[in-house]
This record gives sequence, structure tokens and C-alpha cells, in this order.
Amino acid sequence: MPVHTPHFPDLLFDSAARLRRWEAALMGLLATHGYRELHPSLVLRKAVPTGALRFFDGDDLVALRWDFTVALAGLLARGFAEPPDRVAYAGAVFRRPVQPWEAVERFEVGCERIQPEGEPSGEADVELARLLMAIPGILGLKSAILHLGNAALVRRPLEAEGLSPERAEAVVAALSRRAPHRVAQAMAGHPAAARMEAHAEALLSELDGPRTLDALGASPYADLLHLEREHMDRALQALLPILPPNLELRVDLADVAGLDFYTGPTLRLWAPGAQQELAAGGRYDHLFPGLGRPWQAAGFCVRLSRLLDLAETRPDLFEQPS
Amino acid sequence: MNPASTILIAFPKGRLGDELVPKLAGTPLALDAAALNSRVLRIPTATPGVAALLLKGVDLPRYVAAGVASLGIVGSDTLDELDMDLLELADLGFGACRLSLCALAGVTLDGLRAKPHLRLATKFPKATEAWLTREGLTAELVPLSSSAELAPLLGLADAIVDLVQTGGTLQAHGLVETLVLGRSSARLVAARGAYLSEPGRIRPLAEALISALRRE
Repeated sequence: MPVHTPHFPDLLFDSAARLRRWEAALMGLLATHGYRELHPSLVLRKAVPTGALRFFDGDDLVALRWDFTVALAGLLARGFAEPPDRVAYAGAVFRRPVQPWEAVERFEVGCERIQPEGEPSGEADVELARLLMAIPGILGLKSAILHLGNAALVRRPLEAEGLSPERAEAVVAALSRRAPHRVAQAMAGHPAAARMEAHAEALLSELDGPRTLDALGASPYADLLHLEREHMDRALQALLPILPPNLELRVDLADVAGLDFYTGPTLRLWAPGAQQELAAGGRYDHLFPGLGRPWQAAGFCVRLSRLLDLAETRPDLFEQPS
Repeated sequence: MNPASTILIAFPKGRLGDELVPKLAGTPLALDAAALNSRVLRIPTATPGVAALLLKGVDLPRYVAAGVASLGIVGSDTLDELDMDLLELADLGFGACRLSLCALAGVTLDGLRAKPHLRLATKFPKATEAWLTREGLTAELVPLSSSAELAPLLGLADAIVDLVQTGGTLQAHGLVETLVLGRSSARLVAARGAYLSEPGRIRPLAEALISALRRE
């Protein structure tokens, strides 16, 4: 749906101070864990997507930075023979909003963990989850929920069944809506319809703690996905003993947001009552090979603009500064 | 006051609402009869801390997508037209109707296809465009918000794309269903944020609605 009134918010004194404070605290956390800051240019000249804020610089079409991960990937692939293993970033990105209440200018802090292809990635995924677990406390959120998912739980069955791109897209859209009846509609007439419907039922049956993983046992693709299940189980075993008291850990088997980008484990941070996720990330091992570099990567991004909005609209969710 | 203290459920006014209200009677989500008979649009339910909003179907998904209402009931025809970012937890089965191409009796589908300048009046431009694309047809869409049945009678359009439940309204205007383009039924929708960030509060209500509205 076209949005005719793009939202360009100004930050007044309290929000501006909060932004500076949060940005400094989060970058400090990342620095203490070995993440070094890179700052890609605000103006990008290549592969400008339609959702970006575009304009002409003379005869050249350019865009304001719309995504740190993409901007950093370009920078790293161009400028580094070997990737730095830990990278952090902070600043604004500019994107045309999908929903009318979303701002065009969005402040973010994030990090990326990059490794040579083939290196075991389990510890890197857990390292990112542990970092994300520390963030609600740093931001003063009274409580938060960390959702663990895995894009491969949907990607691999779709690939195994050889669905057409259109049908696969319809299945993913249905799962994104958590609508099993739409999965049935999307698969109508396909030989794998019954399997995919049963898989969708299994993915959507629970949204809870570690036992949610058991729901995968009911999927026809349980064997295909046993490595992913083991990986998630190991992550849970590593994270549950160090769970901060204000944080709840949930397994979301049907997390398909960004499925065209993410290839493995995904992370999403919510606050109870928040309308949008406050941080998100995951593993995206196809990004660098697509740029000619045999590297694998994972990362997350804290959406500071959403947190600033939340602090304005729901101050009850935050500890009040003493 | 904590703005999240009351959970709001958006219910549709009109045809779907007329079917829905009796189904909720006697359940924990029954609507307060006195409030229903008044002109207020925010109605208490039998469960403390849960209230209903009565909204036009076309506005309802926006309230849910924005998180104002945590849950809602809306026709899939409306959902498909608006394409809002919300969860669609269940097909509730009731309110079933067809989205059909309808024309004056005697006008055939081939006759419509052969028109060099086909004019279709509809409240459902997105679904109509999708059908035209599938068929490789072009047409002038005449957007209407109500009483589409009048359009072919008065020469505003050659045919209409509209919801048909019993066919009584079509018959009363001398129209017939020429082709069924799709089907619609009531869906339980949820705000993505509320459902994912507070499943302990929202899921039991969603389950109560499914249980109440799917029973025969």
C-alpha cells in the first residue's frame, strides 16, 4: 500500500539524550567483546533498491544508506582480503516505510560476526545470542523476550520439495501470517501438499520455551531437519543457565521474517506489549559468497528508533533512572 | 494508567457482525447486551479486562495491524484487498461467500471477454486486477464502495465483481453470477506484536474465540 505521508521525526531533548546514551552503552558493550566499529558511507551508489531514498547526484542515481549489513558487506568485500571477525556499527538508515507509522530515518546499533566459510559457526551464534541477552538490561527494559528461530526449518523443506518460486513465496507468506489454512491454499494440487501442511501445523503449534522443539518431531521433515534441531537444542543448553532474571527465552519455529536473507538461526528481541520487535538478527551465510568472498556471517541489529518510540509511549516498560 | 491493561478485540459491524454476536452469547467473550443496544462502539465483554470495538470491516485490519486491537474478526476478502501486516490465526468458517463476476442475465463471460472496452465496477479492485491479469484481460475498473448491483443496471459498468452469499440481492436486480473468482470467510486475525510479545495473554483469548465461533 503506498504511503503518502512519510514520517520524518525530529528528536527532542529527552529522546536525543536517550539516543546518545543508549548508542554509547551498546557500542561499549560490543567493544568489550571485541567488536570494532566500521562506518560505511551514508551515500551508496550501487544496486539501489526501490525501498531506498534515492536521488540524483548529477547524472548518478544514489541512495541514502538503507541497510547497514548490505553497506558493510560491500565495504568488507571490496576492501578486505580477510574479514575482520567482529564488526560493530551505529547510525541511521533510511527506508521508505511499509506501514504508515514507521519512520523513514531509523537509528540502529548492530554487530556482525564473520568467519571463513566452513568454520564451525555454532559458537558464533551463541555468542551473538548472549550479547543480545545483555541488551534489555543495558537499555533499562524491565522485561524482555528473546525468540530463537531458524530459517532453515522452512527453507530446507521448500528446497527439498522443489516448489516453484511463486508457490514457495505463497507458503512463506502464509507462515508469516501464522495461517495454516493459507498454507493449505498455497499447496493445493501439489504432491507435497499433505507433508507441507503437516509441517506448517508442527511449526505453528507452539510458541513457548525449550519444549517447543519437541513439536518438530511431528513434522514429516523431522529427519531432514535433525541437524537444525540439534543446533537449536545446543544453543538452548548454552543460554538457559545464564538467562538474566528479566529475560524470557522462547522458541519460535515459524519465524520466517527475512527468509530470503537468513539461512540459519534467527534471533528476535521483544518487550511484552511492544508492537514491533526491538532487535533482530540471524545467520546469513549467502551474503558474502554472493559478493565473491568465501565468508559466512551472522549478526543482529538493535532498532533504537523503535525503542525511542516505546520509551515515549510505554514508559512503564522501562526502569526509571534514579 | 498502563495502556495495555485492557485487551481490545475488533469485531466487524454489518453482515459478519450479525452472524458473530449470537455465536458469542453465553461464552466468556459474550458482548454486553445493554452496550450493544446503545450507540457506543466500545463494548464490555463477559471477561473483565477484555473489551470489543465495533468497526467497519474495511477499517478493522488497520486497528489490528497497528496493535490498537490485539485480535479481530474480519472477512478474508477484506484482508486480501488491504494486505496489512497482521497474523491470520484461523479460518473460522462462518460468513462464507463467493467473490463473483456478475452481469445482467443473458450476458455471458465470452461476451464480456470480447468487449473492446470492458468496464467492471467493484469494491475489490485488487482481487479484480489479479483475475484480469490471470486471464490476460484489460478493463476499466470503476471503484465503488457500496450498492455495486446498480452499476450494470444503470450503465455505469458492464459487470461487477462483488461478494455473493445467497444470491438474493443479485436476483432482485436481474443479475446472475457469471464466474466465481474466489471464496471468502471470517478469519481470526491478531496483531503481530501482541501475539509474539504477549502470547500468554493473547493465545488463550484467541483459542476462546476459535472455540466459540467454530462451534455449530
